[in-house]
Amino acid sequence: MQKRLFGILATVAIVVAACGGATTSSAPAASTEPGASAPAESAPAPSESNLAADQILNVTAQGEPPTLDPNKAQDSNSITILRGLVRGLVYFDKDLKIVPGLASSWDISPDAKTLTFHLRDAKYSNGDPIVAGDFVYSFKRLIDPRTAAPYSYVTAEIDGAPDLLAMAGADPAPSDATIQAAIDKLGVSAPDDKTLVIKLNTPASYFLTALTLWVFVPIEKKWIESPNATEAGNFVSSGPFVLDSWTHNSELTLKPNPNWWGDVKPTLTALNFFLRSDPESDQAAFEAGELDITQTPSPDIQRVVADPVLGPQVLQIPQFSITQYDFNNFEDPKLKSFKTPGPTANKDFRIALTQAIDKQAFIDATYAGVGQVANSFVMPGIPGYQPDLNPYPFDLASAKDHMTKALAALGKSSAADFGKLKFGFNTGAGHEPRVAFLAEAWRQAFGLETEQIGSDFSVFLTQRTAGQYDIARDGWGADYPHANNQLNGLFTCHGGNNDSQYCNPDFDALIAQAAAEPDQDKQVALYNQAQTLMIDDAAILPLRFLTQTYEVAPYVSGVLATGSDSVSPGELFWESIQIMKH
Amino acid sequence: MISYLVRRILWIIPVLFTVSIITFILMHSVPGGPWDRDKRLPEGVQARLNAQYGLDQPIYVQYVNWAGQFVQGNLGPSYRYQDRTVNTIVADGIGTTVQLGVMAFILAVLVGIPLGIIAALGHNRSPDYLSTSVSIVGIATPSFVLAILLIVFFGVELRWFPTSGWKGPQYWVLPTIALAGFPIAQIARYTRASMLEVTRKDYIRTAQSKGLRDRAVVVRHMVRNALIPVVTILGPIFAFLVTGSFIIETIFAIPGVGRYYITAIGTRDYSLLMAMTMLYAFAVAFMNVVVDVLYAYIDPRIRYS
Repeated sequence: MQKRLFGILATVAIVVAACGGATTSSAPAASTEPGASAPAESAPAPSESNLAADQILNVTAQGEPPTLDPNKAQDSNSITILRGLVRGLVYFDKDLKIVPGLASSWDISPDAKTLTFHLRDAKYSNGDPIVAGDFVYSFKRLIDPRTAAPYSYVTAEIDGAPDLLAMAGADPAPSDATIQAAIDKLGVSAPDDKTLVIKLNTPASYFLTALTLWVFVPIEKKWIESPNATEAGNFVSSGPFVLDSWTHNSELTLKPNPNWWGDVKPTLTALNFFLRSDPESDQAAFEAGELDITQTPSPDIQRVVADPVLGPQVLQIPQFSITQYDFNNFEDPKLKSFKTPGPTANKDFRIALTQAIDKQAFIDATYAGVGQVANSFVMPGIPGYQPDLNPYPFDLASAKDHMTKALAALGKSSAADFGKLKFGFNTGAGHEPRVAFLAEAWRQAFGLETEQIGSDFSVFLTQRTAGQYDIARDGWGADYPHANNQLNGLFTCHGGNNDSQYCNPDFDALIAQAAAEPDQDKQVALYNQAQTLMIDDAAILPLRFLTQTYEVAPYVSGVLATGSDSVSPGELFWESIQIMKH
Repeated sequence: MISYLVRRILWIIPVLFTVSIITFILMHSVPGGPWDRDKRLPEGVQARLNAQYGLDQPIYVQYVNWAGQFVQGNLGPSYRYQDRTVNTIVADGIGTTVQLGVMAFILAVLVGIPLGIIAALGHNRSPDYLSTSVSIVGIATPSFVLAILLIVFFGVELRWFPTSGWKGPQYWVLPTIALAGFPIAQIARYTRASMLEVTRKDYIRTAQSKGLRDRAVVVRHMVRNALIPVVTILGPIFAFLVTGSFIIETIFAIPGVGRYYITAIGTRDYSLLMAMTMLYAFAVAFMNVVVDVLYAYIDPRIRYS
């Protein structure tokens, strides 16, 4: 594992070196490289004169953004673009540490329940000043049940937000007056144009991290309520770029924001996004020189890495993302279909299935060897990651022992007696070989048969949510790098994204305790306890922490890739990217 | 003739009505909904959205609402692209789609018909084998394979044409060829079969025995008659091409409407899916009327009253 990780870092360093470093006098942030290791820094630093005359970057958004309304956006296609258009109170640096954004400083009250932000002088792209009231309006709009924003749940820690969130699905729907009264009571206020006060209902130290999200950006009321607000020419930007043109389903162009308040001013004169949802065509466009950065489709990775020209352009970055398969724990009493829980309700059965899988072989066979074996859920790089937590390593003998115990407990003589377990996945996304690998491993180890049910995405999600499968494909990408976002709601009883139907009151208690713990070390210890409990229960089959494979043209510099990138490496810092002479 | 035309066009209305009902019922009987995401939306948010878009109503109420808006030309909001209405989505893309479709149609006719004629005239000789091979390959090659081959060869290797986009004539070439590939083969095969049929007719022997030159026999007597069955398939082919292709538009990043046939199903974008289905149904029904009218001009024996 250590070796693999080192290999990845080495690759990063080599690519960075190949890009000719990224330091220029005009871009202070660019001097801090990802994996800023010796080779990167010793590379000759390019000066202004090394910049290409043509500062146009062509990248992909992998599809038409469903919306560019910052409060409502949730798809990676939208997020990759919004990261150039909007910024909030705080932001990340390239190491994903929290740094000032539109707030130049902030105070946290002793009880950690009141956050006071002091705003800097800044203007929108339309010249209007960015005032604290715009944050108040934006946050209230995000929570307002009438907005029906998909990410409204990230506001749950704001004082008064839970009432509003509950109103969203209330039957009968609450009146406008009721909603308005609750909004007026919300713990967000602007004592003056330069001060924003957020009151929390719990001392949630992770809330600062959540504030880096694209949904918590300032929004001018008069802008967002105007017709076609998010179309080109109308979009009012608080970030380094403005929306210059948008040919729906084809191409979208950002240009530098003349009123951009950040320290790193964009060198790029245009940032073009291809809005196509076909990764193979993106790969072809990259090879034809039409795209400067792209994601390598899984089937192409081996060819590209081995290619003498493309190989050196490969950039592999570990992501805050995990591939896991859900066992149906059958512990959600809300779901009526569990009159007869399947064998995956039995802990020994789940352990047997876990120990029968050689995860490295799985990654090698079905992900071209790219990615890191996952034995727990919180991803590497996020506080709370437990590298040593691996109670059920690949061990066929132990797997068979646990299966024997499970058979005895369930009154069966062989695994074949269970009939075919329902193994669900969505088609058209390359999961077929992975599902087949797992099914075959279980068949060989125990003679256990599965019915592999491939469905269209929506059908699959509906069935998975309803607990219709014994085993189901799943995955999770961190919204923000904090353990709360990885455990709360995913494994808490009846949590919104709890697709393994897992329910353990001890786990829930630990999560609640952790959320309220202001001391970060103590908090991480509590999250670790919770995760250990869930992994010991073998609630899920964690398989792989994702590593994304990208190709970056050699003349593109200043790519500050992080594990939070959704589509393109370095998208958190589009303004740092430069085109070198080539 | 006029009354015939009016009658035929009025018949399109019940056709569309039937298509809309069947589609509406099928669409809503498939599990899932427009708010399905890998990261699940909070239940409250889903309920709120359902209420906002009227998806919490009984299905017949939803149909009546939809139909009422549809006859007024209002195609409804898109569930997937929440800032846009289906009207603007269709209006933005339909021009591009029709342009690509018409270009591909012209290419298919200009290549397919001569290919079929050459094959028939050189029956069981090398021109026939060559032409037949071309059309078999054309029929058997799915458009996405053809499209990728064109991109790899002319885009990546030779760099003659851009691999994708829609910004000028050089962008039109590869998608047009890729889209025309299948119809070329289809038209060539129909033309060949039809020509061979005509070759054995008495009036051809008569024309030849009159001492007409070969060229005159082929052009005036054979081709004109042979084209009648071909025109029958040109109608549906035209309707198919001008309403767009999911595959070609996706692969070449063309800002048309064709991709929505598939994506609207996957994302359960009900209003967009209805709009696309109605568009296609109308195009097919209308082109059938056009074909019937064309018969009257090509075949003097056919008269409408």
